[in-house]
Amino acid sequence: MPLNLTLALRNLFHDRLRFVATTIGIVFSVVLVMVQMGLYLGFGRMVTTVIDHTSADLWVMRHGTKCFEDPSLLSHSKQTGAAATAGVAEVTPLVIGFSGWILPSGEITPVFVVGSDLQILKPWNLTEGTVRALSGSGTVAVDRSYFERLGVSGIGSKANIRGLPVSVAAVSEGIRSFTTTPYVFSDLSQARAYIGIPSTMVSYLLVKLRPGADLEHVRHDLQASLPDSEVLTPAEFNERSRSYWLLGTGAGAALFAGAILGIIVGVVIVAQTLYSSTKDHLDEFATLRAMGSSNGYIYSVIIYQAVLNAVIGFAFATLIGFSVVEFTRSGALPVLITPMLVLVMLVLTVVVCIAAALGAIFRVVRIDPVMVFTR
Amino acid sequence: MSEFIVEAKGVTKVLGHGAAQVYALKDISLSLRRGELTVLMGPSGSGKTTLLSVLGCMLTPTSGAVRVCGYATEGADAKVLAKLRKDHVGFVFQSYHLFPTLTAAENIQLALDIRGMHGEDARAKSLDVLEKVGLAHKSASYPRELSGGEQQRVAIARAIVSKPSVILADEPTAVLDTSNGQAIMSILAEIAKDPTHGVLVVTHDSRMTSFADRVIHIEDGRFVRDERGSAAAA
Repeated sequence: MPLNLTLALRNLFHDRLRFVATTIGIVFSVVLVMVQMGLYLGFGRMVTTVIDHTSADLWVMRHGTKCFEDPSLLSHSKQTGAAATAGVAEVTPLVIGFSGWILPSGEITPVFVVGSDLQILKPWNLTEGTVRALSGSGTVAVDRSYFERLGVSGIGSKANIRGLPVSVAAVSEGIRSFTTTPYVFSDLSQARAYIGIPSTMVSYLLVKLRPGADLEHVRHDLQASLPDSEVLTPAEFNERSRSYWLLGTGAGAALFAGAILGIIVGVVIVAQTLYSSTKDHLDEFATLRAMGSSNGYIYSVIIYQAVLNAVIGFAFATLIGFSVVEFTRSGALPVLITPMLVLVMLVLTVVVCIAAALGAIFRVVRIDPVMVFTR
Repeated sequence: MSEFIVEAKGVTKVLGHGAAQVYALKDISLSLRRGELTVLMGPSGSGKTTLLSVLGCMLTPTSGAVRVCGYATEGADAKVLAKLRKDHVGFVFQSYHLFPTLTAAENIQLALDIRGMHGEDARAKSLDVLEKVGLAHKSASYPRELSGGEQQRVAIARAIVSKPSVILADEPTAVLDTSNGQAIMSILAEIAKDPTHGVLVVTHDSRMTSFADRVIHIEDGRFVRDERGSAAAA
C-alpha cells in the first residue's frame, strides 16, 4: 500500500469519534440522495408501467396528449385509415379513463379502467385466473394489493362500476398505480361502458407493424393520413409521460430538491470534519513541507482521506439504501435503485468528498514550513 | 565538488513590518564544510533559528546571498526552495516532529516516499539507517512507544536516510537528559565524519560543544565568535 495512503488511513482512524461522526454524516447524506433519486426512478417507472407492458410498435393519440392518463379521445373511425397504411399489420383500439368502483357496502372508490383486445395489452403478473377469463361479460382483473380498497377477496368477488355489475376473474401481483388509484383491466367494450366512452371514440390506437416494415416510414405515412393525431414510438410516449408527471407537475423538482439538500449536507459535514482533521495534523503537514515534499504529495494524503471517507460511508449507505428498496417494494411508491444509480452515486460521493477537501487543502497551502521550529 | 556545502554572504533578514520590524540577522557570512560538525550557539532571540531557516531554504534573505550545494536561493519561489530542501537538506527538530500514526520505520520511509522511492527498497533502506542509530529492534514501534532519546534518533535517521549534503539540527538535545543528549550528539558527530555530509547544530547547551569541529557564537543577529579545533571544544 502506498505510504501516503497508509498515512491517510491511519490519520482517518486515529480519531475514532470524528471518523464515526463523519461516516454517519456521509451515510445520512448518501441515503437521502439515493432514496430521493430512487423515488424519482421508481416514480418514473410507475408512470410508464402500462406503456412498458404494451407490445405496440407505434401509439396513435390525439394531438397534444400529455401522458398515458390524458383523457383526450380520438375518433374510432381512424382505425380503418390507420390499418390501410402500408406496413401496418394490426391496429388495436385502447380506452382508458377514471371511473367509480362501488363496493358491496355502497362506498365508492375511484379506479382507472384500461380496456383493450387483451392481446396487445393485457394484465401481467397474473397469480389467479387467466386473461381468457376476461372475455366473459362483466369480468375484470384487479391487483392483489388493492383488495382491501376495492372490498374484494379474490376470484369471484362482486362489485359495481358506474352501476354495472362486475366480477373479479383474474388477479395480478404488483400492478400498482403511482396515483394510488387501482388499475382495473377489462375488454374493450366493457371498458367503454365502465368509463362512459361512446363506441365512436377511443383513447389510443395501438399499431403493430408487418415484419420488415420501416418504422419511420410507416410513422410518416400514418402521421400524414391522421392530421389531428400524433404518432409516437413507445420510447417517445414513455418519455413524454415521464416528463409530464416528473417535470410538469413539480414532483420531480421536489425530489431533486431533496437530493440537492442531501448533497449540501454531505459537503458541509465532510468539509468540516476534513478541515478540523487537517488542523489537528498541521504539524505533520508542516513537517512534510519542511522536508521538501511537493504540494501534490500533501494533497494526496488529504484526498486519500476524503476518498476513504467517501467509500466507507457509501458502502454503509448502499446497504441501507437496498434495505429501503426491500421495505418499499410492495408500497405505493417503491424506491428503485438501479446498478447505474449505484455507480453514479459512488462517483458523486467521491467527487463531493474530494470537493469538500478543498477547504483543508487551502489551509495546508498556507502552512509556513518555518513553524516546525516553533512548535 | 565544492568544499563548501552551504555559503552565506552578507545575509540580512528582516522580520515583521513597520513598527514591529526586527533585524533578525545582520550581515552574516558563513561557509559550512563537508565532514564537519558546526555548532551554532547563542541566547534566545539571537537569530539562531532564523539563520537555520535561511540556510535550510525555508526563508530567503532580505539581502545578501545564500548558496546550498552551489544553488542560489535568492529570488527562488516556494517550489524551488522545496526542491532544494528535498534534494540537499535533512532536518532534525527539537520536538522530533515524527508522525504519530506511523511506525519508526514508516517515519523514515516517508522521507524516501516524498523523494519517489517506494516499496521494498525504501523499507530496506529505512531499516538499515535505523540500525545505524541503534534502533533496528524498534522499527515497528510507534513514536508514543519510544523514549524522547529514541524518538530523536528516529528523527536523525529520517534526516540522513536520503543522504542529504547538509543536516541542520535545531536544538536536538533541548528536551533530553544529559546522557541522551550526549548520545544524540555522538550520532551527529559520527554522521559529520562522513565527508559527503556537513552538520550544523543549533544549541544553547555549552556541554555539546565538545563534539564540535567548529563553534560559532551569535548574539543579536551577528556572529560574535567563530572558533575551530581545541578552542571550539574548550
